[in-house]
Amino acid sequence: MSPHDIIKKALEEGRYKLLEHEAIEMIKYYGASVAEAKLAKTPEEAGKIADELGYPVVLKIVSPDISHKSDVGGVIIGVNSREDAIEKAKKILENVSKHAPKARVSGILVQKQAKPGLEVIVGGLRDNVFGPVVMFGLGGIFVEVLRDVSFRIAPLSEEDALEMMKEIKAAKILEGFRNMPPVDKKALAKIIVATAKLLEDNPEVDSLDLNPVIAYPDGALVVDARIILRRPK
Amino acid sequence: MQDLNAFFNPTSVAIIGVTPKEGKVGKVLLENFIKRFKGKIFPVNPKYSEIMGLKCYSTVKEIPEDIDLAVIAVPAPIVPKVLEECGEKKIKAAIIISGGFRETGTKEGALLEEKIVEIAKKYGIRILGPNCLGIYDNWSGVDTFFLPDEKMRRPPKGGISFISQSGAFASALLDWMAYNNIGISRAISYGNKVDVDDVDLIEYLGSDDKTKLIVIYIEGLKPGRGREFIKKVREVSRKKPVIVYKAGKTSRGGIAAASHTAALAGNYEIYSAAFKQAGIVEALSFDEIYDFAKILLTQPLMKGNRVFVITDAGGVGVMLTDALTKEGFELPLTPSDLKEELRKILPPHCIVENPIDLTGDADDERYRVVLEKVLPKPYVDAVIVVALPQIPGMTEKIIDYIADAKRYGKPIIVINIGSETAVKFKVELEARGIPVYESPERAARALKALYIYSQSRLRCIK
Repeated sequence: MSPHDIIKKALEEGRYKLLEHEAIEMIKYYGASVAEAKLAKTPEEAGKIADELGYPVVLKIVSPDISHKSDVGGVIIGVNSREDAIEKAKKILENVSKHAPKARVSGILVQKQAKPGLEVIVGGLRDNVFGPVVMFGLGGIFVEVLRDVSFRIAPLSEEDALEMMKEIKAAKILEGFRNMPPVDKKALAKIIVATAKLLEDNPEVDSLDLNPVIAYPDGALVVDARIILRRPK
Repeated sequence: MQDLNAFFNPTSVAIIGVTPKEGKVGKVLLENFIKRFKGKIFPVNPKYSEIMGLKCYSTVKEIPEDIDLAVIAVPAPIVPKVLEECGEKKIKAAIIISGGFRETGTKEGALLEEKIVEIAKKYGIRILGPNCLGIYDNWSGVDTFFLPDEKMRRPPKGGISFISQSGAFASALLDWMAYNNIGISRAISYGNKVDVDDVDLIEYLGSDDKTKLIVIYIEGLKPGRGREFIKKVREVSRKKPVIVYKAGKTSRGGIAAASHTAALAGNYEIYSAAFKQAGIVEALSFDEIYDFAKILLTQPLMKGNRVFVITDAGGVGVMLTDALTKEGFELPLTPSDLKEELRKILPPHCIVENPIDLTGDADDERYRVVLEKVLPKPYVDAVIVVALPQIPGMTEKIIDYIADAKRYGKPIIVINIGSETAVKFKVELEARGIPVYESPERAARALKALYIYSQSRLRCIK
């Protein structure tokens, strides 16, 4: 589906937060590399998709009514075979019907499990004075405790995005830290630029978080995406 | 933007709401225009036939000549009627001084404001205000700052133009500039900015030859104007420096936000990012506004970040080293070629390492020869001269020597701490285009402002 169709469908269904696979599809459309993910309607389909994506995979419940998936037993990582995928998908559905019996279930997201790397956050929002604004920061305590983030107003170039990375106080970590090699800043810049484009192209989008984005020495992957649409006034 | 010219360079002005009553806005306005304005003045008030020796008209429509600018200072409820008459008189620019509009937070105020916007649109009148001090123009003599000279002194002519969202701050700053003998070109307080706003004014001042540097005090832009602001300021800052002081820095945090990003993005963080993108130099304190203005007005662009310090006080050299390093500057070790040259001309007890310490027995001649050796070197991007006047060998000649060193085309700033002699040196050096600071930290911040501005200019040239 095109970004326009994804948003249209969500609004028709009265949803102001896109489902995870929709959000990932949106950001991928604008050129960001993502940890590939597809929605399975049944455990069997989950098995089939897992085979297509290659192992290991992660399974996550997709529901407009559940925002903390782990709390209801809605996330299982390290799934290594088709049989395992089918079984774990069933397990997730069971967990959810027990812990959140009233939640509407859209399906199970099967996602290629990303290798560990440096976790960063890329975000975007629509400001009433400046319009689309993007944000960059390192994941975890850097964002949550230290609020160590930088901003730019869209439209922005790859150079602007690289500048944003230099601006955070923990910028040195991107250059390699202890045994970690430097991360691929160009790949991150591409994701930041994609975020700006997504906001520019879709006035219905109010804000988004790509959290985490995992950065590697070569490349970077959007692992989780949250896109919030504007509510009518 | 030529249409804003009527605000700054009108040939004829109608002042509506004049009065002979002591202490009233309408009296001070007319007095100030009579004192300073070079064009024709037409007072308007139906209650009088003559004020301060000028014929007074009952409405603008009675005035037998064309009017470029209307200055309106009547009570808010009468403003729509007066503005309507201005429209019929084909006046294309109006400064509405009167308060009592949206800023009151009342429904009546908001309605009145909508009404004047409507009338302005109908007749194609550009509006500055309402609820503002308007314009102080040091060239044409337009002066709607309705404060008498004894309350607010007027600064001399100069290259700084100032745009302020706060009228009170604008008048305080002008008074302060006058006291400190700092020149101003044009100053604008735009109040509720129903029409002419920051973006329009920056564009106008950007193409104004008399304005060499723009200072902006801002609380917030109009919704939806942000991108235009960045675009226009980026164009202007390629030609002249723009310094912004943003008030209201505290975050709007606490509002429940649907995403991390929305929770982290305070109003100020977004403005600050926009300033960077626009090539603006952001002043973080009141002191920095003028600290930055005086270096940006007088010094050439700084091509790299390598600074050499020439001092007669070891301690201040160390303070400066700390302050400069904190701002990200490099203080290179003195290369061997320069070391040798300096050793030849300096007594053996002087320190030729950077900071170059001429020591307490230095005289001004020692500064002259060292400046001549240091400034032409390709690895020197700027020089800070610490010239404390307490040492016995320092005379007024130092002023000539430092001012002469401008011919090398590199930034030079001076640190000078002390009493009357220090102040005298400062005044004379600044009159000759060398900025002087008392504190090493403020000097380092000012040099950083010059460096940031230079880098954004040099990037554009590339």
